[in-house]
Amino acid sequence: MNPLLSRRAFLRNTSLVSAAAAFPSFLPSRVLGQTAPSKKITVGFIGTGNIAQGHLDTLLGFDDVRILAVCDVDKVHRDLAAAKVNAAYGNRDCTAYNDFRELTARADIDAVMVCTPDNWHALNAIEAMRNGKDVYVEKPLTLTIEEGRAMVSAARKYGRVAQTGTQQRSSRRFHDTAEFIRNGGMGKLSRIEILIPANNKYVGANWKPEPVPAGLDWDLWVGPAPFQPYTRQGCHYNFRFILDYAAGQVTNWGAHYIDIAQWALGMDESGPVEVVGDGEFPTTGLFSTATKVDFTCRYASGVALRCRTRYDGVSDGNVRFFGERGWVDVSRSASTASDPALLKEITAQSGKGAVKLPSSLNHHDNFLQAIRTRARPISDVEFGHRTTTVCNLGNIAMQLKRPLKWDPAAERFVDDAIANRMRTRSMRGPWSLV
Amino acid sequence: MAEKSPARPPRVRPENDPFRAYEEQFVASPDPWAEIVKLDHGSDRTFGSTVRAMVMNAEPAQRPAMEKKLIQALAAPGLTAVGQLFVCRMLALIGTAECVPAVTPLLNDKATADAARFALDGIENPAVDAAYRDALGKLSGDAKAGLIGSIALRGDRTALAAIQAIQADAKEPAAVRTAAARAVERLTAKS
Repeated sequence: MNPLLSRRAFLRNTSLVSAAAAFPSFLPSRVLGQTAPSKKITVGFIGTGNIAQGHLDTLLGFDDVRILAVCDVDKVHRDLAAAKVNAAYGNRDCTAYNDFRELTARADIDAVMVCTPDNWHALNAIEAMRNGKDVYVEKPLTLTIEEGRAMVSAARKYGRVAQTGTQQRSSRRFHDTAEFIRNGGMGKLSRIEILIPANNKYVGANWKPEPVPAGLDWDLWVGPAPFQPYTRQGCHYNFRFILDYAAGQVTNWGAHYIDIAQWALGMDESGPVEVVGDGEFPTTGLFSTATKVDFTCRYASGVALRCRTRYDGVSDGNVRFFGERGWVDVSRSASTASDPALLKEITAQSGKGAVKLPSSLNHHDNFLQAIRTRARPISDVEFGHRTTTVCNLGNIAMQLKRPLKWDPAAERFVDDAIANRMRTRSMRGPWSLV
Repeated sequence: MAEKSPARPPRVRPENDPFRAYEEQFVASPDPWAEIVKLDHGSDRTFGSTVRAMVMNAEPAQRPAMEKKLIQALAAPGLTAVGQLFVCRMLALIGTAECVPAVTPLLNDKATADAARFALDGIENPAVDAAYRDALGKLSGDAKAGLIGSIALRGDRTALAAIQAIQADAKEPAAVRTAAARAVERLTAKS
């Protein structure tokens, strides 16, 4: 028998797991004391740059987690990450890989954190799931709509836990607001307004290819996207402003706040039926994602969701729900409302309505508990896919500048051949969604 | 019958007129469809953006003429690799069976096979499937693995035997054999 499977079978039968089934929220298991090595969830990281650093720090704090390997096509990043892990554990056991396929092939790794640029998410996660790993995938879940569906299919086919990194679902503030809306607390909902930050990086109109820095596997960095020579401004972090790799702030921030709207609307396995957009895109230069985001979706219920760029310099988004009782607004920093009494009501009504949304106070812990219980995590891959789809619908509509009809069941545009072709992108060989 | 007024002589701006250069530039503004063949990494892509907007916003009745312009661009003298890739990506949006003969030669060359697939993958026409099957025997390495993936995604079961043979061929590199194995799994899966 596969030792991993036998260990999981053991874990499924522990009293800890029985408790997990009874109570949806947990204290991190590290507070329970030393975890035997055989019970630890072993983790590998694919992508160790910017966003991965926070995940590394967090998971190193879990007693029931052991990070065995890290992978990055940038040697500087992967060596730093491996050193951080080894320093935390007081050994030299963490293996550093250049190619993610070597990491996913390891039989002793249970779960993989996918923290690569967006155009890599689907390939990294699907390969990991094919090799029996559970996955935590940074947001936005995927670059294209078709990749998202492929990732959901892989999770179901291989029976894997797949958590999307939309961690606002593991925040009491967002949870309570969404649950309040779901239970009709605002009366009939009419519209939702979402603001997302403007681009925070700019380059001039011109750029030129530069020598690839030592230790950076540029071909593997580009991966499935059309090949483009290295330029420093188009690599780490800034990739998100180049359409070949990402969709800009539409998915970078939109993935967080549209996710809360989808949750509040009960649209976790569906989506809007129409979208229209009028964004602005750079017509030359390195960056190509929207500099001005403005699109509106309409759901079958009649609710309109508008997402647009804010220009007040605030590095956060917010989502405002308008209903018969006024409006409530929630962001990472604050909740506000047309009537302050609504905010007290939201807190007081938490957990008391007919609809009880899943609850989590720690996104990583929720993922780890799902690995042990085999339950769906709070930001299940299907939900992440549906949220990212709304972002991508907006991005496509802003480029096409015409109203589009969307069939959320078939996941196809109605009567628009070009829009339908934009649901997917061909990949450079050898990469494929197959 | 009223007499026609004489034609107004062209206005000639003096050398030091600040609008002279602007006017000359405007009159000489190039055809964006001709400019896209010169695209290069880091170059001004304004004309590319113009063509992209035209392609995306074209009415269905306008698309055949645009596809024809893109096909002509593929044969234009001085076509750069970046220009070629750009044209293929525009065909990915509006291409039909009409462009298959022009794109197929690119499909058979390892250096341009990916660009060709970008153009052809979205075209639901047997001519594309035939071109893909034919290219299987002409490509190698990563380009071949990518092609196999495209065939599998298109669900072309008539390519199954050829792909099974590739899967079994020990001389093929690992990436190609892996792609073949996954394609066989996809093509033989019960729907």
